[in-house]
Amino acid sequence: MTTVHLSNVTKHYGSTVAVQDFNLEVADGEFVTLLGPSGCGKTTTLRMLAGLVEPTGGRILFDDQEVTWLAPRARNIGFVFQAPALFPHMSVADNIGFGLSVKGRDKAFIRQRVDEMLDLVDLEGYGKRLPAQLSGGQQQRVALARVLATDPRVLLFDEPLSALDKNLRDTLKYSILELQRKTRKTAIYVTHDQSEAFAISDRIVVMNAGRIEQIGTQTDIYLKPRTPFVAEFIGANNGLNGTVVAVDGSGDDAVVRVDTGGLLLRRRGRTRLTPGQAVLAYIRPEDLSVLEDGDGRVHLNTIEGTIDRLIFEGASAQLRVEVAGVEMRADISGGQRLALVQREGRVRLGFDDVTLIPSEAEAGTAVVTDGVPDEAGPAA
Amino acid sequence: MSAASTPRRRPLLSSRRLATIASHAYIWLCLILFVLPFLALLSQSLGQRGGASGLGNYAAVFGSFGDNLFWSFKITGLTLLIDLAACLPAAYALVRYPVPGKRLLFSLLQLPLYVPGAVIGLSLLLTYTFVYKIDSMWGLVLAMAVGSFPLMMTPIVVAMKDLPVMFEEASECLGATKWQTYRRIVFPLIGPGVSAGLLLCFIIVFNEYLVTLFVHPPALETAPLKVFNLVRTNGLAPTTAALAVTMQLISFLAVIVFFRIFGTRHFKGTYIL
Amino acid sequence: MARLRTAAFLAPAALLALLLLYAPLAFIVNMSFTVTNSFLSPGGPVYSLENYAAMVQRYLPNLFVTVQLAALAMLVDLVLGFPFAYILVRRIRYRDLVRALMVFPMFGALYVAFGMSFILLPGGPADPLIHAFGLRNTDLLFSLPAVVFAMSIFTFPFMVMSIGTALSNVDPTLEEAAACLGARPWQTFWRVVLPLTRAGVVAGSLMVFGWSIGAFAEPLLLGSLNEQRSLALTLYKRGVVENDYGLSSMMGVVLLSVAFVVTYFSLRYSRGALVD
Repeated sequence: MTTVHLSNVTKHYGSTVAVQDFNLEVADGEFVTLLGPSGCGKTTTLRMLAGLVEPTGGRILFDDQEVTWLAPRARNIGFVFQAPALFPHMSVADNIGFGLSVKGRDKAFIRQRVDEMLDLVDLEGYGKRLPAQLSGGQQQRVALARVLATDPRVLLFDEPLSALDKNLRDTLKYSILELQRKTRKTAIYVTHDQSEAFAISDRIVVMNAGRIEQIGTQTDIYLKPRTPFVAEFIGANNGLNGTVVAVDGSGDDAVVRVDTGGLLLRRRGRTRLTPGQAVLAYIRPEDLSVLEDGDGRVHLNTIEGTIDRLIFEGASAQLRVEVAGVEMRADISGGQRLALVQREGRVRLGFDDVTLIPSEAEAGTAVVTDGVPDEAGPAA
Repeated sequence: MSAASTPRRRPLLSSRRLATIASHAYIWLCLILFVLPFLALLSQSLGQRGGASGLGNYAAVFGSFGDNLFWSFKITGLTLLIDLAACLPAAYALVRYPVPGKRLLFSLLQLPLYVPGAVIGLSLLLTYTFVYKIDSMWGLVLAMAVGSFPLMMTPIVVAMKDLPVMFEEASECLGATKWQTYRRIVFPLIGPGVSAGLLLCFIIVFNEYLVTLFVHPPALETAPLKVFNLVRTNGLAPTTAALAVTMQLISFLAVIVFFRIFGTRHFKGTYIL
Repeated sequence: MARLRTAAFLAPAALLALLLLYAPLAFIVNMSFTVTNSFLSPGGPVYSLENYAAMVQRYLPNLFVTVQLAALAMLVDLVLGFPFAYILVRRIRYRDLVRALMVFPMFGALYVAFGMSFILLPGGPADPLIHAFGLRNTDLLFSLPAVVFAMSIFTFPFMVMSIGTALSNVDPTLEEAAACLGARPWQTFWRVVLPLTRAGVVAGSLMVFGWSIGAFAEPLLLGSLNEQRSLALTLYKRGVVENDYGLSSMMGVVLLSVAFVVTYFSLRYSRGALVD
């Protein structure tokens, strides 16, 4: 039964800002993921929660207890590192029992608890082995058992799957979620991998350059990105710089002219934009569909362009089309993707959904983001 | 089958093979040179002079030289303890804590290795006599410690650097105190590095004669010093050779035991083994 | 708090070095400016540059012999040690055996010198060889070559390890690449291997030189009167036997200066980066 509360947590290294004014409330038993590119401050935030890094300012509360300045051992947290960090000179059982043993619990209790934990992570009978005798996935499961054995108030995960290969990552992320559900622990999880974050989180905190960009559920941040960064970082997106040219009298519909090429985009739904305002318009590649002659479907927007190239990716195909001087990406699935393989020349694209975000002064030019996260290591 | 189609046979002595043979021969020639002085002493220690024969010389080692051996072990043991006490915390701090002027400090702590033994000896002799007024065994122990602790420092520093800080963090997150973390995680994991340092210090201190010559208390004569004094006053007596051989065998045994247990990689950075 | 802990951790080693190395060295630097035993006289020490004048006027040959012996030992080590290190790192599987046998010289110059003097002794095991070259035992026993040879055996492992460490950091495929590009073995050595291991070679040579500067047992047991003039031995005779503290301190300071200069460059070339 633990809530976590961070208020204005800040960390500076000299003149470098690692984390600035971080505010977050995590409910009891909630699974929250900090998602962002490397160097965005997510790991630093997690390490401040653990007490491994002292904040420059702000407060951290577990329930009503302020822990900002407490040493890690006084916080009763479970920290799972990027590598399993199992003590190589101790058996699996001794590793799992370590947290209880340093608190002076009696041997019989520790033995029983270790057995329970081995059971929990499906490693019965592995207690006597040394960490080096286990596979990478088994080691990470022992690491999980080791933190759960101490019955921590909060589970903290620092990209625990990034050192494993892809198949193992997929199975293990669900094991983590399942264990968290079973133990009903509050969990905070750091990753740069969107699919991981989407798979296991209750809520996601998108971070960039030491600040929170958006907090929300998977659908929130995917469908309603609040900042250009979120729109471009999460998933693939076509981003276009534009200007609002008209807003419906009731504030319901908006028309935007793209700065380059003068393309007009219509968007339906309530808006607080005003004519003349500079905006970034985002169109998801999967929302674009290729219109054949005689196609009966009606779209709010229809644009026409020249096929630049088609990248066949198996289940889907990526179509790159030049529309009025701007390159757009459309993801085509189903039978249509096969028909497109040989296609050249002009093509018509239709779509309904456009996300409009008021552009800040520094907003860039038109971009296509492919939504592949930075594969580089986590923030130091 | 015509002769032209038969494959050319590998020459019995290709230039490559000759080079390989020459390489091995060279290594062994050098190794024999290394061991030659020892072998000479060994053969001399088994020789006869004045009636005492063969192994009889070794009886003398544990008889009349027993005291000297005892002092050597005692001085060496105490020195190793002081070295450990100095090096373990220092190496930890140098690697883990932000220390201003770290490189300079490390170099200053390494410098004793490079001061000629005679200079260390003379400077300590004069300061012990005129400033510190030390004339006990501890003067010798401290002299050995200051000359040898850099040797222990290097492998421990290397072991600490090779130990990811994650293990200590994991331990603290699991609720261990600093001391529990040092004792149960750090020390066991840098054990081989510490042992490498202990071994290096052991073989240097155990066989040290030069600084000892300057600062030993009159009544205390370690085994290497005994060898030195006997060679100067008594010539090349077989019993002296037997003592020298014994000292080297003990040292060699320590090296072999270490190599068997830990392997050789823990001397990285020492440039010695 | 954190600072206090750091200081406490560093204190034992720092105190050991400060009280038992730097303070005593400062003490003999001071002592080296006092006239003979005036430090002990009731009137207090008499300061003068007399000892350093003596160095220039009388003891330059001693310094020369000291440096000469160290330089020769270094050269022998370098010439014999580079191929040894190369073969050890690149060609040999029984490396641990070699390393184990290589420790014998490390047990001390005393044993090396002792053993060598026995070998060269009239009636010793090397007699037939010595006579075959038309030499007499005394030509070798108390001679410069014997001293240099013993010194270089003692320091050989340091040289080999320093070069070997540098060599094992050089990717062997570079040599293969050079060979495939048509370089002859000596060209590969001269233009690829040597430049890449230069730091190790320089550091090893300086280290050997620095250690050889203080040679004591080798000149004493194997040298003629000429080699016995080496500074470490003279320092012992003047200081401990004749109690001329001023003069022997001066020699200590001279030795120390040479050793420090050499060490400075050696450290710059090799291991300064260990704690970064």
